[in-house]
Amino acid sequence: MTSAVIKYVGRTTDFKGKTLWEIVGCLKNLGVGRIIVRSVFERYPETSFMKIVKVETCPDEERRRVRVWVEKTFRGKKLPNITEIYRTSYKPDYKLIPKNEEAKLLATVDKVHDYSNVVLPKIIEMPPLMKKFITKDHEKKGLEIMTDFTMPIRYNRSPNRVKRIAKGDEKPTVQFSMGLGTPASPSLYEGIQLS
Amino acid sequence: MFSQHSLLKRTMPMFIQAAEAHRKPRWLPVAKSKIYRIPKRPVISEDERLELLRLNNNYKTQMRAIRRFYSEDMIKEQESRQSASSEMSQRLEAEEWARCVELNEKWNLEVAKEREERRKLEIQAIEEHALKRIEADDLKLKERIAKASAEIKREKELSSTFITPETLEAAIEHALANPTDYNFAIDLKGNLYQGKETKIELVKEKDTRVNA
Repeated sequence: MTSAVIKYVGRTTDFKGKTLWEIVGCLKNLGVGRIIVRSVFERYPETSFMKIVKVETCPDEERRRVRVWVEKTFRGKKLPNITEIYRTSYKPDYKLIPKNEEAKLLATVDKVHDYSNVVLPKIIEMPPLMKKFITKDHEKKGLEIMTDFTMPIRYNRSPNRVKRIAKGDEKPTVQFSMGLGTPASPSLYEGIQLS
Repeated sequence: MFSQHSLLKRTMPMFIQAAEAHRKPRWLPVAKSKIYRIPKRPVISEDERLELLRLNNNYKTQMRAIRRFYSEDMIKEQESRQSASSEMSQRLEAEEWARCVELNEKWNLEVAKEREERRKLEIQAIEEHALKRIEADDLKLKERIAKASAEIKREKELSSTFITPETLEAAIEHALANPTDYNFAIDLKGNLYQGKETKIELVKEKDTRVNA
């Protein structure tokens, strides 16, 4: 199925590893109970891995894919529901964790999460031009003039969400604003006045 | 090669310079000369990457908020417009309904008048038809009675020849005295021979003709 030496041809890729079927198809009982890792998730400081719960093979037309159900741990947090991997199972980005390293990996889960204390704001202030536009627009339409120039932020809801969104009157720990903000790497802005 | 004058006087410019360089149409495959070309990946320093990521994230958050604000605004406006228009349309509908009811009643009255007249005519026609039928029936009955009485007359006349218990003996004697024989025979020439016991003389000519 796969040769020991991998020779890459063509464009470079961020992926590193094998497809899920290449891993699972070579294992006893199709690798149920084993732990796999996606190498793109290794960029996070916390550990992310998946424990295989159930495997279903696919028909011949889908020979690169496999249907796998996993217990997913993303960024040190175990997700409550079992996840199905099918659409992404063809990506050559999975790695199998050897049995002797599983315990080491599992031990890192209990570590305290880095971003758990961050509370995201629910509202953001409008950009300056929009403020002016809205006051004029409301005057023209005869609506009441706006005094609170804020608007709700929309977040993507995902089970993988790490940072918490403020609930009710909770005070957020970070503030988003229109503008440049504080640079992550000030060395790039040397000699430039940041207002 | 070209004089200044000829270039300037042309209706269409001779040299057309496209704004962008020639591009491969989307549906064509990768050019032969470019098949094995591996584009170099841009190398970005870690500082720059982090800063760009932060800026991009900021931008996306801001734009999402603005988009949400305006989409909600639009929905609100639409709803208010719809509700206003629905009130208006309800009032219009009620007026229309009242008008329709009035018109309908007027039409009903007209139709009722027409119906009364028509019914009168119809009843008259029915009565006439019934009278005609009764007269025809009467006539038929009369005819039948006349026919029956004529029959009775004829039967009465005939009854004088009937055989009664008193005349039975005489009738039997008369019958015995005059026996009737209904048997008969027909030969090939169509001659009729009455009676069962009648003797028929065979014609010899006929036999000879058959043998010949």
